[in-house]
Amino acid sequence: MTSDSDKRLPSDFADANVISIGVGELAVAALPNYLMTPALGSCVGVALYDSLLQQGGLAHIMLPSPTDCARAERLERFATVAVPALAQAMTEIGSARRRLVAKIAGGAAMFQADAALATIGDRNVAEVRKQLRLLRIPIVAEDVGNGHARTVELHLDTGLFIVRSYLYGVKRL
Amino acid sequence: MRLEDLTDLQLDTLRELGSIGSGHAATALSQLMGKRVALRNPELKLIPLGDIPGVFGGPEQLVGAVYVRLLGDIEGGMLFLAPRASLLALFDLLHARNPGTTKSFGHEQERLITHVASVLAASYIAAIARMADLNVLPSTPSFVLDMAGAILEVATTQAGIKALSAMLIRTAFYQETTDVDVALFFMPEQDSLEILLGRLGMV
Repeated sequence: MTSDSDKRLPSDFADANVISIGVGELAVAALPNYLMTPALGSCVGVALYDSLLQQGGLAHIMLPSPTDCARAERLERFATVAVPALAQAMTEIGSARRRLVAKIAGGAAMFQADAALATIGDRNVAEVRKQLRLLRIPIVAEDVGNGHARTVELHLDTGLFIVRSYLYGVKRL
Repeated sequence: MRLEDLTDLQLDTLRELGSIGSGHAATALSQLMGKRVALRNPELKLIPLGDIPGVFGGPEQLVGAVYVRLLGDIEGGMLFLAPRASLLALFDLLHARNPGTTKSFGHEQERLITHVASVLAASYIAAIARMADLNVLPSTPSFVLDMAGAILEVATTQAGIKALSAMLIRTAFYQETTDVDVALFFMPEQDSLEILLGRLGMV
């Protein structure tokens, strides 16, 4: 007997509460949802969390600033735009800036042999740090640099930031 | 002019370049390995950059990639991509062993795959450069084995920053009973694509 459930794809069984964020996007959410973004290479995943209201936001940042790109569109790709925008989005859902803490991951140098490609990750991380400092949001945990890809999840009940990679498996920050 | 705005005639010309490139690559690899290495005629199509991880099953799929940057008259990059299992099968095929013999991916595998990918990319680059009468050289190849999505974002951050799509060159290495599918992505920058097409008399 073949029921409809046999034809469903594995992804159909995935947690309905997950909000997946693509490259150069950002989102905020509250319980019972949680946020994730797959495959960060030189990109940086920035998570902001408010433990009082159990809500948070996550951004997948591609480049430091729009001056790194001739075509200035989809500005949420850039750290100088995405970090303030993410903080603003948190304020709009009721989280005071002083309650926010940040956790960051990514900024890897995937292709070590190519000098120009190897520095993008470091530049992304530097710009993210600078933007968070300007907003006075402390970075309470991080897993940045090295040469491996990472997938991150932000759980909104505890603020747990899970970093998955082929090299290190699961890290809980 | 964007890669996605090309006419059928322009695409045919690029396809022709693909066939010439595969021919050169097969010859070069046969000489290198001291035995016949055969490549299927490549299938070319344009795909949005965001769809590249999907070619081999999603952004978190474990794939091996070799990135070669284009140096000289045109800018951009060439990315060789194949799932880990295919790379092991390719290693076996090139050593005339039964597929499945090699089970782990170590330095020896990385070296050979990087070399093969580099020859493949250089052959396409040479075909393009010769037909367009341009000076284009490949950079030193760079290998990585990790998540497809992360590899792609790094390669496109540098090369495809202005482009929205890449040209997918899909080919396969084959011997009597085995086919190993591999993919190459040609990602010229927009200005470079215009130079290239202008040289080919198509603008």
